[in-house]
Amino acid sequence: MPKSSSDRRHFIIAGVLVAIVTVLLDWGLNAALPFPAQASTESFTIDQLFRWHVLLIAFLFALVMVFMFYTFVVFRRREGDDTEGEHFEGNTTLEIAWTAIPLVLVVLFSFIGVNTLNEITRVEDNELVVKATGRQWAWTFEYEGGVVSPELKLPVNQRVHMVLQSEDVLHSFWVPEFRVKQDLVPGRETSLRFTPTLEGDYSVKCAELCGLTHWNMLAPVKVVPESEFTAWLQTEVAKVNPAVTSAETGKTTE
Amino acid sequence: MSLLSLGLVRGLIGQVLGTLTGMAVIVIARLLLGMPAWKEEPAWVLGMLFGGIGFLIGVGAMDDWSQWWKGHKTPMRHGAPPGQPEWTRYFGMDYNHKVIGIQYAVTGLIMLMIGGGFAVIFRTELARAGLQFLEPGTYNTVMSLHGWASLFSILIGIGGMANYVVPLMLGAADMAFPRLNAFAYWINVPAITLLLASAYFGWDGGWTVYPPLSLVGPLGYQFTFMAIFFLGFSSILGSLNLIATILLMRPPGMSLFRMPIFCWAILSTSFIQLTATQFIAQAFLMLSVSRSLGMGFFDPLKGGDPILFQHLFWFYSHPAVYVFVLPGLGIISEILPVFARKPLFGYRWIALSSVAIALVGFIVWGHHMFTSGYAPYLRVWFMISTLLVAVPTGVKFFSWLGTLWGGKLTFPTPMLFVLGSISVFLLGGLSGPVLATVASDQPLHDTYFVIGHFHATIFGGFVFPFFAAIYFWYPKITGRMYNETLGKLHFWLMTPAFWVMSVGQMTAGTMGMRRRIADYEPMLGGMVNDNLSRLEVVHIAITLAAFVIAFGILLMIYNLFHSAEMGKVAGNNPWRSRSPEWQIPSPIPEHSFAQPIHVVGDPYDYGLPGSYVSTAATAAGDD
Repeated sequence: MPKSSSDRRHFIIAGVLVAIVTVLLDWGLNAALPFPAQASTESFTIDQLFRWHVLLIAFLFALVMVFMFYTFVVFRRREGDDTEGEHFEGNTTLEIAWTAIPLVLVVLFSFIGVNTLNEITRVEDNELVVKATGRQWAWTFEYEGGVVSPELKLPVNQRVHMVLQSEDVLHSFWVPEFRVKQDLVPGRETSLRFTPTLEGDYSVKCAELCGLTHWNMLAPVKVVPESEFTAWLQTEVAKVNPAVTSAETGKTTE
Repeated sequence: MSLLSLGLVRGLIGQVLGTLTGMAVIVIARLLLGMPAWKEEPAWVLGMLFGGIGFLIGVGAMDDWSQWWKGHKTPMRHGAPPGQPEWTRYFGMDYNHKVIGIQYAVTGLIMLMIGGGFAVIFRTELARAGLQFLEPGTYNTVMSLHGWASLFSILIGIGGMANYVVPLMLGAADMAFPRLNAFAYWINVPAITLLLASAYFGWDGGWTVYPPLSLVGPLGYQFTFMAIFFLGFSSILGSLNLIATILLMRPPGMSLFRMPIFCWAILSTSFIQLTATQFIAQAFLMLSVSRSLGMGFFDPLKGGDPILFQHLFWFYSHPAVYVFVLPGLGIISEILPVFARKPLFGYRWIALSSVAIALVGFIVWGHHMFTSGYAPYLRVWFMISTLLVAVPTGVKFFSWLGTLWGGKLTFPTPMLFVLGSISVFLLGGLSGPVLATVASDQPLHDTYFVIGHFHATIFGGFVFPFFAAIYFWYPKITGRMYNETLGKLHFWLMTPAFWVMSVGQMTAGTMGMRRRIADYEPMLGGMVNDNLSRLEVVHIAITLAAFVIAFGILLMIYNLFHSAEMGKVAGNNPWRSRSPEWQIPSPIPEHSFAQPIHVVGDPYDYGLPGSYVSTAATAAGDD
């Protein structure tokens, strides 16, 4: 073992250990932090960003912990040794380096952060607008043509613009498989956009504490093929407003 | 000796009488206005306010000041009240900062056990899916109380470390304003009784008490608002006192950059507390009058806005998180050099990084509100400002490594807790940027991932360093050594358990477990077998870990009591520290320093032959 604390061999050994631990931790953390199914375009963008963060966490955690544990082994007091440690009070070059490098990482992650934010909040033409209303402790969903449903039915691969309203206290609209989340605020409309990509059954969960049975403020979500959705919406519109539909049907028969 | 001679008892009686007076005023006023005599909420609100004042009068916090108002001088009291045993000092007004420091620290530990006790109750409920023994309303109350009881523990515990240690490190006779110091401690006690009394009526808003929910919930909310209002007074007055002490009472020769590093941490913390606490007081006052006087600050129907509250709340509560952790990080920087036998690496960088964290902390509050619905472009600014906090925090970590590198490390219990806090705070810190980046915050906001992040930050930044400080200064306070075996057992129980708990919480969070829910859908993370889901396995692990942590803390409490009588005599300076407080006798006499000290060297020059920090060391004849 090298004697002097500034011996280059210390840093080579610790550096190799940091690399190994980074790889192991990155693998371990990804296994320990599982997300639900990826069911929207946003889930892919966000999960990728999350995995970048996990890699950074693994590296920085390994960096600090490996060096720390290395000192436990190499620089612990040996039996019978009553001397003090080496006397050095600091190193300005090192301090500047470990201020500047994190600063570069901050700029990099800010840049990635802005890009991903723009991507998940993008506005497209032909969005399906659905109005969601939250109240203690239930959801309703309103479609064009006055259709009101306790279930959120959405066509696959179609960008959705949720317009969110609350009737009483704060709530939050969240479908874990879609990843994105937005609070409902009484007195104003908030909005949230996403594109479901995977057909299936999910549920909206209220993610902002809203009182007694907050945990149970759930509503079913069904992502279906576009044809099925259109057919369902037409039937529902017909139920709500038979006059309009019969007039339309009348037109088509003419 | 009668019970009435204890200030605490007189204070509590004063609080009851004050509460009744306040209620009577409301009843009489309502009768005079021709209204029905009794309305619960306003009666309680005025009662609580008068009760707090009644407590302070009863405990004697106003005695000297009322003499001053009449133009009489009062001498500084020292020692127990005449004819009373020494221990009664701790249960009444005492102006000695060492007594007040112990009062703070013990109260902080009691609140830690109460807050942790609430956690153990609802953790047991959450171990399996389904509602077992807590009604949803009770669950929400216990969960909300866990939050504030624990935060009380932190703010009061910090007061303990600062009050006991800072004047000693400065070689000062006491704090700058001893009477204000005692007042600032005692106002915490009516705050605690109100917070605990809120359990009777219940409240369900979590510690953030967002309106409109907190405007329509049960009466327990008003108790919480008033409790935090009183606690805030303690923060403001205590920090004012600490700033004055640090800036004005340093001995000759101690420039700012020769202060022990813990004083820098406390200076930064106190700056935040002195300037930001007003915002939460104002926010909670607005909630309180919205309820009792029908004002519409946060009610859209009356022109108000619920999001306004979130801004006011987080403008205090984010900087407050740095109030919680900066003193702990100061403890780490303070204790590491002693057990590494080396100077603190990059002293000025560590000192100024505390100031930088305190300042940047004021411009990041919006990251708690990424999903709240404020103007979307603001999220970009708050993302970048929040990520910036990583820079000064990183400086601390790397400088700690520099301190360890090339040292002669030993690992008694305080050092173990310091190293434990570095690892745990690292986990807390590194799980921050992913929440600060708006897009990756989306699936994690208001889930258990945030819970895991927050608990790692607070355990690493407060709980572990607080325990390190307790073990470290215990021989100085009592003159006896704690039991090292029990101390190490405490560490080795608590640290792995904490890791299981915190990582488990993050796992549950990514699986989709929301915060603050009394029950959960077990199939969120998939099934292990027909009867057991993965999420339940995670919850069982978290719950067991919580029990182990609780047991470890009880072990420490036992150790502290047991060793005060049975521990072996520690001597004046068992850690061979250079700091002035270790050069005087243990336990410290009433007047800490026999002569005023002069500072002649840097605080951490371990390994520099012939160097001394102060004349206290040369007088004691060793280093």
